[in-house]
Amino acid sequence: MSIAGVKLERFTAFESLRVHFSPGLNVFVGANGTGKTHLLKLVYAACDITKSQIDFPEKLVRVFLPSGRALGRLVKRQKASTRCAVEVFRQDLKLRASFTNHAQKAASATVTGAGAWRATPVESVYIPVKEMLSSAPGFRSLYAQREIHFEEIYADILDRAYRPALRGPTPSARRRLLDYLQKIIEGRVVIKDEEFFLRSRQGNLEFSLLAEGLRKLALIWLLIQNGTLLEGSTLFWDEPETNLNPKLYGPLIDILLTLQRSGVQVFLATHDYLILKEIDLRREKDDQIRFFSLYRDSVSGEIACHASSDYNGIHPNAVADAFADVYDREVKRSLGGLEK
Amino acid sequence: MKAVVEGDLELKVPDGAAVRKFDAEHTHGLSHCMKAVDFIIEWKDRIFFVEFKDPEAPESRPKDRRKFLHQFLAGQIDADLKTKYRDTFLYEWGFLRAEKPIHYLVLIAVEGIGPAELLNRTDALKRQLPLMGPFGQEWPRPFVAGCVVLNLAAWNRQLPQFPVRRLTSSHS
Repeated sequence: MSIAGVKLERFTAFESLRVHFSPGLNVFVGANGTGKTHLLKLVYAACDITKSQIDFPEKLVRVFLPSGRALGRLVKRQKASTRCAVEVFRQDLKLRASFTNHAQKAASATVTGAGAWRATPVESVYIPVKEMLSSAPGFRSLYAQREIHFEEIYADILDRAYRPALRGPTPSARRRLLDYLQKIIEGRVVIKDEEFFLRSRQGNLEFSLLAEGLRKLALIWLLIQNGTLLEGSTLFWDEPETNLNPKLYGPLIDILLTLQRSGVQVFLATHDYLILKEIDLRREKDDQIRFFSLYRDSVSGEIACHASSDYNGIHPNAVADAFADVYDREVKRSLGGLEK
Repeated sequence: MKAVVEGDLELKVPDGAAVRKFDAEHTHGLSHCMKAVDFIIEWKDRIFFVEFKDPEAPESRPKDRRKFLHQFLAGQIDADLKTKYRDTFLYEWGFLRAEKPIHYLVLIAVEGIGPAELLNRTDALKRQLPLMGPFGQEWPRPFVAGCVVLNLAAWNRQLPQFPVRRLTSSHS
């Protein structure tokens, strides 16, 4: 049962937004400050509470980490008192939370639909921009015992990564994906005393010595191997291109498309043209892909969203626009001050 | 304005510019051993070598269009573009006509090719010609002043003095 969409009123950067997701791959593009990460975090929070049993507003606070952990700071900033509402949809289920900008405690929010929402758990993973596995030893216990200023997505991803491998034989589709990843990272991941290592023919290499881009693919290997990324689960990945060599974009997108075909709902935020083009070039006819362009409406100044199932339909495309600008300047330079 | 035509594409040049159809076999005379760009334009302080690639011409087959697109994106057209430029340069140099800075303009008349691909191919062509001499130093006597790969929209935006249009109404 995939996440069908969200409806937001005065939540963080959004004045009013309604978005319908694809059950397959959802790709968000947009300039900085248009709310891509906020959308991913919001939907992740709604998914996570079905397993962690944390209250939805409390999870929002932990994931967004507003100053003083004051829930009301997640309301879009306005001079007057105001109330925000977030709604997340899954088939006929609706999870709703509303709160005012004066709300200090998460418990002061009004939540509806949480009981039914939690009755059908959904496995979810949020991979943040910053890589965490190399900093893992001791982080979880530190996070559990102390008030350290880290968004909960960092502790959550380690919880998922530390899960032991699934029992029993590995189905062939999952085996193929693991083998494919093992070829790229040239090894498999092992965990010793909370520390991650890449085990290859040369021995065990600690993650802190492994290229950062490869750590990301190693994390995906772990999540597939331990059964976190299985049919029915949801993957959120913020800027997967960070620290990854562009030559690995193709294999990365292949993996995401394969996961999507096996029933994993994927949410991706990217600034990278090549990531978008790899999706466009590697997609197959039946792949369920939707691109979302988040942008500031020129009239209202508010963030709006345009959806398209086709790469060429992304509009406005902040990533391609940046290329167009560079290209135009390159042409001008190549023409060497041509008189018009 | 004077107009010249290559297949389905018409190029107009302003008064004061001299344009020659360069790759016509009967006038080139060395097409058995030298490649040639489509047009040469001489205008004010510079010369343009102009090459048109038109896989979307009305008579072309969808299969061939796809093949061209694949080859273009994979950089397999670069070598052909490079050879056309260099052979044309030698030909003109031999005739003492390469006396002004020469800019190489390549038009890829495919709607689906955007700025990123054009930028990538422009950079590749610069490396292939090559624009710079050994070890990144400038040539003491440069043989190409600049090169650029454009689609139809970029051409007409950047070179309004030399408009290009499709002749068939279905594309206009």
